[in-house]
Amino acid sequence: MDLVRDVLDKQLVDREGTPMGRADGVVLELRGDLPPRVDALETGFAVLAERLHPRLEEWLEKIRARWSVRKTARYRIPWSAVQEVDPHHLQIAVRAFDTPAYDWERWLRDHVIRRLPGAGDDDS
Amino acid sequence: MKKWLQLTLGILTSVGGFFDVGNIATSTQAGASFRFQLIWALLLATVLVIFLVEMSGRFAAVSRKALPDAIREHFGFNFWVVPFAVLTLLHLLTLGAEIGGMCFALHLVSGLPVQVWAPVVAVLTWLFLWRSTFSTLENSTSLLGFLTLAFVVAAVLHHPPVREVAAGMLPSLPRHDAAQYWLIAVSLIGSVIAPYLFYFYSSGAVEDGWDSTYVGVNRGIATLGMSFGSLIALGAIVVAGMALAPRGIQVSDYHQAALVLTDTFPFWGFALFAVAMGIACLGAAIEVSLAMAYTTAQTFGWGWGEDLEPREDARFCLVYTGAIAVSALLILFGVDPFKLTILTMAINAAALPFVAIPFLLLMNDAKILGEHKNGWLTNTVTVLIVLLALGLAVVSIPLAVAGGGGG
Repeated sequence: MDLVRDVLDKQLVDREGTPMGRADGVVLELRGDLPPRVDALETGFAVLAERLHPRLEEWLEKIRARWSVRKTARYRIPWSAVQEVDPHHLQIAVRAFDTPAYDWERWLRDHVIRRLPGAGDDDS
Repeated sequence: MKKWLQLTLGILTSVGGFFDVGNIATSTQAGASFRFQLIWALLLATVLVIFLVEMSGRFAAVSRKALPDAIREHFGFNFWVVPFAVLTLLHLLTLGAEIGGMCFALHLVSGLPVQVWAPVVAVLTWLFLWRSTFSTLENSTSLLGFLTLAFVVAAVLHHPPVREVAAGMLPSLPRHDAAQYWLIAVSLIGSVIAPYLFYFYSSGAVEDGWDSTYVGVNRGIATLGMSFGSLIALGAIVVAGMALAPRGIQVSDYHQAALVLTDTFPFWGFALFAVAMGIACLGAAIEVSLAMAYTTAQTFGWGWGEDLEPREDARFCLVYTGAIAVSALLILFGVDPFKLTILTMAINAAALPFVAIPFLLLMNDAKILGEHKNGWLTNTVTVLIVLLALGLAVVSIPLAVAGGGGG
């Protein structure tokens, strides 16, 4: 498998197929003389910012610390949780709604969207 | 049978989305200042838009992925971030222009100032997106879009000189106001190849569940839909060339553009113009807002889709809500809708390489598209026209800025 082609920037979905961000980063474990091994996937704005420029990440981190909706700026998914790699997505054995990847979605739904009229039935 | 229905609906949709505030502004300006001499720019852009729309539909049907999704996945975030930023800016400016168009239409029938209407128009556009599913949006705005045929009817009723119209189909050098001529040519091209079309269309094809059996339908929709949209723009050039040019009326504002239908339809020409413009801008504003929400959601891997209830894709809804608010503020704070439109259309043409190059690379990837990848003809035509549009934009925009604008 080619990490950059098949993993990095891929769509992530949970076990029900709900989109939950993208593989913004890949964490490798360096093992001395052995080839490095994929340890985890990372997702979150901080990871993207770091890819663009480390200073951008510091700056975003300051903003996040002040208005923190997310508990962490990076959500790390152990490689062992990856259930399936297909041409469209990586399937992760979690429920998206319970993960940090949904912090913003959950917050917006509860504080903004749900308060507007006609946002759909209020059941889940 | 179902495919034929899809084809018809698809053509209707492309007409609904194609003809917008940009076409109204640039076509009437071209006709008023240069009669039929700039028709070639419209034709050139139409050929390009047919190729680009066909490509984006074919890509979505075969790979079942929309463009932003696929571009980020294949080229990585660090590559995509630049086109993504350019697109976001263009989407906001275009949305501002469409909202401004609706405000002007309401100003024309009510007499109240343009700015006053900005909040009303913003809420109206937002309500459509908030409460509708994808197919009701497609069908309602596209049926009403047929009102824009008034431009074609008026053009025919003017009995334009066929030979002069035909002569305009070949490029020629301007006899006066060269800087203005080239700027209008660029804006005219930019109004036809507006990037939101491709991003909306490819995500729409994924929402409609297209697969590779839709490649033929897609070709039909792209060719007929875009040609039909272009026919309406041609109608607007011709009618402006007949109604405004002989009287020496130049279009530097929508008030002059609104005169185009009053010769043919003396009593209700103004109202007809206002209604056609309002509807065309509403249809396009909805498509631009969705294009922006699709692009952002796919870039970051959020849930997206106009068929979900708002509470199922809160971030997607937040993007279009925010976009409408920001764009409406431009108009509320007094940005001139006509100048905003002309400027945005010129930038569309200049930004074309950002939109077209990653897209062309994907279209040539046999791993994704297999037998449906681009042929040499499509590649050659697309590259040539993109380069030509870029060349025109690079030359004419600085000229226009130096010469004091396109008004």
